[in-house]
Amino acid sequence: MKLYLYGIIDSSNQINEPIYGLEGACVYNIPYCDIGAVVSEFTEPVQNNTEGNVLAHEEIIERLMEHFTVLPVRFQTIIDGRDNLLSIMQSYYKDFRNNLERFHNKIEFGIKVIWPSDKIKEHIINTYKKSSQKVSISDDSSNKRFMREKFEKHKLDEEFQAKADKFINVMDIFFSKFAAEKKLKKLKTEDLLLDAVYLVEKDKQDDFREAFEHIKGPHANFKFLFSGPWPAYNFVILPKNSDLLKDSRQEDLFDKVVQHQELVGAEKI
Amino acid sequence: MHNVVTKSRDVTLLEILDRVLDKGVVISGDAVISVADVDLIYLGLKVLLSSVETMEKYRGAPITGPMQEPT
Amino acid sequence: MTLNSVVETDFPEEFVEEMEKSQDALPKKIDANPENVEKGLAKLVLTLIELIRKLLEKQAMRRVESGSLSEEQIENVGETLMKLENKMDELKGIFGLKDEELNLNLGPLGDLM
Repeated sequence: MKLYLYGIIDSSNQINEPIYGLEGACVYNIPYCDIGAVVSEFTEPVQNNTEGNVLAHEEIIERLMEHFTVLPVRFQTIIDGRDNLLSIMQSYYKDFRNNLERFHNKIEFGIKVIWPSDKIKEHIINTYKKSSQKVSISDDSSNKRFMREKFEKHKLDEEFQAKADKFINVMDIFFSKFAAEKKLKKLKTEDLLLDAVYLVEKDKQDDFREAFEHIKGPHANFKFLFSGPWPAYNFVILPKNSDLLKDSRQEDLFDKVVQHQELVGAEKI
Repeated sequence: MHNVVTKSRDVTLLEILDRVLDKGVVISGDAVISVADVDLIYLGLKVLLSSVETMEKYRGAPITGPMQEPT
Repeated sequence: MTLNSVVETDFPEEFVEEMEKSQDALPKKIDANPENVEKGLAKLVLTLIELIRKLLEKQAMRRVESGSLSEEQIENVGETLMKLENKMDELKGIFGLKDEELNLNLGPLGDLM
């Protein structure tokens, strides 16, 4: 019997309210020790990546979030039988528990920022042209012209990156005050200055939201996106291979990663 | 008005897809049947929408919304 | 639809555009076709050469900035860098590889370049 897996929760209890998942099948919790795997039975041929299924999947996760801490599982994860599921739970138990503990009472928020990269570059070029620190390369040969162009491009790029770092730091200082963990991606595209996710305690979410509103003010020509609350999709840490669990050195590595993340959060405050 | 609604829906869907297709608990192995892993990663909005179109052609009716509650 | 998660922005179209652009940069399929093994090898080799070329270029730029290169040296370095760049473009053309493809993902360390 195929089981569609939605998430891992920090409870071995039944789900008391009726929740219907994909194919209208009933969603239930298969306990393992003190945690559980939330599943529904699945019969469709596995090629159905429709928008409807994705939204239904997400809705189930959110319903679960109301009562439990949830480790959301990737869309279209289907386990071949209950025995296999229990075997997976056994292999990953420690990792699941560690993640559930880290996520207890916390939610994920996403913040994206678009900046006017063209204007920023214009400003950099204008500033450089006026500055007295210009490096001059004569252009009396094609090789020298090449070097000059390369150099100007290099300077522009350097300044561009530095400005990005500066803006991101300023914003991050505000947000980090209320976040336990974070992941930042700088300049995924030229205009997408920041793609960040923050893991925030539930009782700090209003403060976090306020910090976001506050940041928008002084950046009138930037564009902002705020999303959430989500379960902690971006903060799940799992070894690639369940065999790694048996190696105690890998377990230490896991702890080190967690510590490091917390340290990174703390440093910026 | 319609355009604004569509685009807002698009960005919401993209945010969901970004999380649900590639993040969270990712388990692989013999016991895990799922759509080919490589196809799942960043199907993106366009591909997903064309899946919906294919489904519509197959069923002969437009898909109006997410799962209906069973009667 | 009763999703609690909210996505709020005054500029949905702009964000859709940027998100789709950043997705295009990702390799979509791992191609196990044996005919493409050569291409895979070329990709790896060219990625490494590209890394070295970029490092050389960066070094050169730093020297230019510090003013420690003579006119003659600037001329020579310029010629070398230009030839390197042209050669790389040629090789990329031969193997049908684009700039974005010449990169390596180092997992938690991010991308090589």
